[in-house]
Amino acid sequence: MNATPGQAPVKSIMPKWVRNPQDFIGGIAMMAIAVFALWASSDLQGMRGFSFGAGTAPRMFAILLLGLGAAITAVGVLTEGEHLAKYHWRGPLFVTLAILSFSQTIRPMGMIFAAMTSFLIAACGSPETRWTEAVIVGACLTAFCALLFPYALGLPLQLLPTFMIR
Amino acid sequence: MGDLFSNLGLGFSVVFQFVQWTPAFLGGTSIPIPVNILLCLIGALVGTLVGVLPGIGTIATVAMLLPITFGLPPVGALIMLAGIYYGAQYGGSTTSILVNIPGEAGSVVTALDGFQMAKQGRAGPALAIAAIGSFFAGCVATVLIAILGAPLTKLALAFGPAEYFSLMVLGLIFAVVLAKGSVLKAIAMIVLGLLLSMVGSDIETGASRMAFNIPELADGLGFATLAMGLFGFAEIIRNLDAGGESDRELVQQKVSGLMPTGKDIKDSTPAILRGTVLGSILGILPGGGAVIASFAAYTLEKKISRTPEKFGRGAIQGVAAPESANNAAAQTSFIPLLTLGIPPNAVMALMVGAMTIHGIVPGPQVMQKQPELVWGMIASMWVGNLMLLIINLPLVGIWVRLLRVPYRLMFPSIVIFCSIGIYSVNNAPADVIIAGAFGLVGYWLIKHDFEPAPLLLGMVLGPLMEENLRRALLISRGDWSVFLTRPLSAVLMAIAAALLVLTILPTLRKKRDEVFVESEN
Repeated sequence: MNATPGQAPVKSIMPKWVRNPQDFIGGIAMMAIAVFALWASSDLQGMRGFSFGAGTAPRMFAILLLGLGAAITAVGVLTEGEHLAKYHWRGPLFVTLAILSFSQTIRPMGMIFAAMTSFLIAACGSPETRWTEAVIVGACLTAFCALLFPYALGLPLQLLPTFMIR
Repeated sequence: MGDLFSNLGLGFSVVFQFVQWTPAFLGGTSIPIPVNILLCLIGALVGTLVGVLPGIGTIATVAMLLPITFGLPPVGALIMLAGIYYGAQYGGSTTSILVNIPGEAGSVVTALDGFQMAKQGRAGPALAIAAIGSFFAGCVATVLIAILGAPLTKLALAFGPAEYFSLMVLGLIFAVVLAKGSVLKAIAMIVLGLLLSMVGSDIETGASRMAFNIPELADGLGFATLAMGLFGFAEIIRNLDAGGESDRELVQQKVSGLMPTGKDIKDSTPAILRGTVLGSILGILPGGGAVIASFAAYTLEKKISRTPEKFGRGAIQGVAAPESANNAAAQTSFIPLLTLGIPPNAVMALMVGAMTIHGIVPGPQVMQKQPELVWGMIASMWVGNLMLLIINLPLVGIWVRLLRVPYRLMFPSIVIFCSIGIYSVNNAPADVIIAGAFGLVGYWLIKHDFEPAPLLLGMVLGPLMEENLRRALLISRGDWSVFLTRPLSAVLMAIAAALLVLTILPTLRKKRDEVFVESEN
């Protein structure tokens, strides 16, 4: 699935003894999450006699995850595996920006503005975007959503910017 | 038996309910509208529409379309969601036959023979047999749900907290066994889901857990938010990586001659029957669902066929069997959800999420307290399948045209649609950001070969498991052996342990990997 044929094998930044970097990093990340969860739940009450406190279950699952993460990391050292997959920055960056822009503009500017701008920002995520086409489709989609959500589905969505309503 | 008919009768009366609509412009004349049938129809159509879009699987489709059901009454919302679910599945098989891009994992095997048939100009019969097989399987599965529903509910009522906990453990283990790839990683994903479900306030003490005083987290991570991030956004980002316009080998000939020949029907009838039986059984098992059923059905057909060499070259049995199995399993997977309240797979986990949003706690009580909800949904499945059969075949042309929509236009549209959907759940901009963050997490998980589906299952089962574990231990006064001393619970635990051991054993693992490899090639 990865669009990296024909490229020279990515030079691994991993030390040689890590034979399966994908699992190695994955396991470490799981352990990091578990440690973070243990820290985050450290202020919660634990077992009282035989009854569970608020912190018991989170800690239980976190310790389980810690163990599993360690096991996955071990697998990463002991078995032969794939190199780290190549990450692309363009798609994730612009999709994230579009989502952020939407969340920041929806309240003050209303849905029509928010949807249209984030459509255009998201469209930057692909090198194949043709702008006239994107603007037309974006406008149509915005119009469709403006009819679908507040009218057809009856969800309370503000369409226009706040300053125009007042 | 009498119960069965009265229950189904109740279900159909819910489905065929008419609501008087008195629009102002008609000046007081009221028109009766079959609301639930309309919702079922819209759900099936929209589900197919989104399911046909390449690169969007069943889970993503259901997750993306969840918000449009929020404004409806509970019965209508569930009927529509069920419609979306099998619509999406049907859409997935359409794309695998016509373009060799399975829209979802369950129709991977359909692509093997379906696409070959399409290349030989027999796309019509392939689609028709897929639809007929699905419909037949749907009918059988509906009856099966109705038959098994009541007794299983009675069994469920005999369950104590210990049994419930063990059953959930078994369900999660099944999900691990049947998941693709590393067993360890699948378990890790489930545990991560369980951990994420702990965010928010504690059920018993109300203490805020891991919420860092962020008001949006005080109620826990929203299920719809997480699902849309992990499946909607993450899929988009990943597909962008793959370079949207990759080889889309569209069958260019016109799809003509929908009707299968007499020989086609004669060849595929036994395959449909076997696929239905296999799918119905595998669907009830937790964790499996549609994917494993279609693999198993295809493998079985190939094994017992007198002409196995024809498989992969356009054998109609290779389309009929997995499609029937697929649909049968999709429907019987509702059984554990409706009777025990335990979702057997990620799509059912989404259904639980939808039910919770409508204030319904799935479980045996629902069947007793809100029978019209359960039976209405069951009856609507049959109606929905009939609709798919009648409507979709004539619409094949439209679905084909949809496939030509370039990805560069599709992905920003999905981003916007998902954003609006997430925002509309709680009118909270923070939810959109959380979903975006989970989109990136999901992308990272995919890159590291972690499957996000078990995470979703863990997320839904987390609170249930904690509650039952707590209760079981409270009743047993802190004695952990309660899970092994109560007979029912012990049996469930033993099955779970045996399954886990079997999966880790090298011989079986090899077999399991073979099944997945075969299905991918």
